[in-house]
Amino acid sequence: MSTHILAVEDDERIRTAVKLALEDEGWTVTEASTGEDALQRFHETPADVVLIDIMLPGIDGFEVCRAIRRASDVPIVMVTARADTHDVVAGLEAGADDYLTKPFAPKELSARIRALLRRARTAEVSSPHLRFGDLEIVPDEGVVRRNGDNVHLTKTEFRLLVELAQSPGRVFSREVLLERIWGYGYFGDGRLVDVHVRRLRTKVEADPANPRHVVTVRGLGYKLQV
Amino acid sequence: MRRIRIASRLGLRARITLAFSIGALLLSTLLAATTWTLTREKLLSDRESAATVVVYTNAQTVQRRVSDTNPNELLETLLTPLGGRPVLLTGDETVSRTPAFGGDALPSELKEMVESGRPARMRYDLDGEMQFAVGVPIPSADVSYFEIVSLDDVEGTLDALGVSLVAAALVTTLAGAGLGWWASRRALRPLGGVSTATMALAAGRLDTRLDTGDDPDLRPIATSFNEMAQTLQDRIERDARFASDVSHELRSPLMTLAASIEVMENQREDMPERAQAALDLMKGDIERFKQLVEDLLEISRFDAGVVHLDLEEVHLAELVMQAVSHSTDADVPVELDADLAGVVVNADKRRIVRVIANLLDNASRYAGGATSVSLRRAGDEVQIAVEDAGEGVPPEDRERIFNRFSRGSASGRRGASDGVGLGLALVAEHVNLHGGKVWVEDRSDGSPGARFVVQLPVEAQQ
Repeated sequence: MSTHILAVEDDERIRTAVKLALEDEGWTVTEASTGEDALQRFHETPADVVLIDIMLPGIDGFEVCRAIRRASDVPIVMVTARADTHDVVAGLEAGADDYLTKPFAPKELSARIRALLRRARTAEVSSPHLRFGDLEIVPDEGVVRRNGDNVHLTKTEFRLLVELAQSPGRVFSREVLLERIWGYGYFGDGRLVDVHVRRLRTKVEADPANPRHVVTVRGLGYKLQV
Repeated sequence: MRRIRIASRLGLRARITLAFSIGALLLSTLLAATTWTLTREKLLSDRESAATVVVYTNAQTVQRRVSDTNPNELLETLLTPLGGRPVLLTGDETVSRTPAFGGDALPSELKEMVESGRPARMRYDLDGEMQFAVGVPIPSADVSYFEIVSLDDVEGTLDALGVSLVAAALVTTLAGAGLGWWASRRALRPLGGVSTATMALAAGRLDTRLDTGDDPDLRPIATSFNEMAQTLQDRIERDARFASDVSHELRSPLMTLAASIEVMENQREDMPERAQAALDLMKGDIERFKQLVEDLLEISRFDAGVVHLDLEEVHLAELVMQAVSHSTDADVPVELDADLAGVVVNADKRRIVRVIANLLDNASRYAGGATSVSLRRAGDEVQIAVEDAGEGVPPEDRERIFNRFSRGSASGRRGASDGVGLGLALVAEHVNLHGGKVWVEDRSDGSPGARFVVQLPVEAQQ
């Protein structure tokens, strides 16, 4: 079964052109023109990747993102108007895994989608059981437990945590994390890492404001405290 | 351009001061002259009246006693409290108390008038001294009695008065000048405020306004200035919004075009050769179009004043190398100063990358590509220099090329017509935002070509 992408975009011409380009990649594309439409279609046929334009009439992209995130850990790519606004951070905090700014080349979009899909699949590498205080990570099962309770992480959050946990104590720069998790390299947006770390902390830390596991190393990056 | 003339060769303050001085001089001179003239007349006529009274009294004495007294003795007995010098003319004989003031000291006109039987008086000049003579005919004895009174002491008083008046006029003139200077300063002080506000406006702080205050004379100026500033601000903001709105609107069709071109690109093999050539043209121009829209958006954000730096600590040498290797001109050699190895700057990575990319792009567009990118430390600053082997930039163009849509001099020296013309303007904006500077100069090794230098401050934190 081919990869299924839900594309939410109110401009019909853009939607059609993007659909054509993505179908050239061999993927199946479902279109939605409004937020309501998108949520309904997602519930009918869950997608492998969701592409959401933030600027939607009615329910906006952030709300769609949050609604989908409540139900699923599917990778979400958000389309924003500009890179230097609060939109990006707001979208990431709403649960998006990555973002693109208009106008983007469809080749770039498919690269992002491929990175997200690859990540979701390669998360199943065999790793031993990892334990850090109250935190227990089982990479093979894709499970994280805190004090014995299952913690629900998105695929990206899980990958980020496993990446840090596989070399405990080692400091990872934003660039390294961007490359390993998102496939970006040097020119990725560091805010992707920052917001994901923030999201991760709210789930795995007892007190997210004073993290004990995922800590910031000022000026260098992040590490998992042993 | 319509110019309203407000300046003259002489400064405004100098002109006001001069006007005040001349006014004070004229007024004080007029006052002094009037005072002097009136005082003089008053003093002289008082003295003359008093002298006349004395003369008549003495004339009566003479009339009573002239027949039985020796004239010389008679004259000696007369009282002359005003210093009058008596002269008695009897027929052909002249008798006087003071030899120097005999009959010759009297004006002949006066003598004739008195001898014809009428009393007379006259002010006249004798050997440079002012004298006053009164003559009274005494027909009963057939003599004429005269007295000559010197008015010289009055003149002395008047001279002293004159000196005081001239001094007073001078002081008044100086005071007038001082007052003019002070008044013009006071009057011009609000202009200083207007000038400060105007400079602030010119420097881009468009929300600068004047305090209209309570001064009824200044309020119209302040109000009209504020109206002008508001109009200007509205206009500039509207223009900035327009550019931003237009570029926003352009992005949707661009998005469709970019995606459609890619779909066509995937079918390239099925296309005839001519269609492929057309496809390439479209692809190239859509790329350019995209860049232009992005640049326009970026620059309109600067105009709208909504930019902010996403500062992070960046290893500068690595950033420059990465920026070069990801640019269209990845083969350009990068020269690094050894002492730059650990330099970390607080910078917005995206903007610095854009700066380097635009400089490399500029070099390949107009100068056949960059020959080197170098990075060196200069005190508290780091300099990123991009050199090329083109024709260089003539000194008169070196500021202008950082303006928007400027492409070298009007003759099109920097060549090709495919320039977008926003690249260097954006470089300048990004660099300024970082508190740095950018300029273009001749190449340091003397070969032909341009050297674009970006200078960024280094925080003392490493």
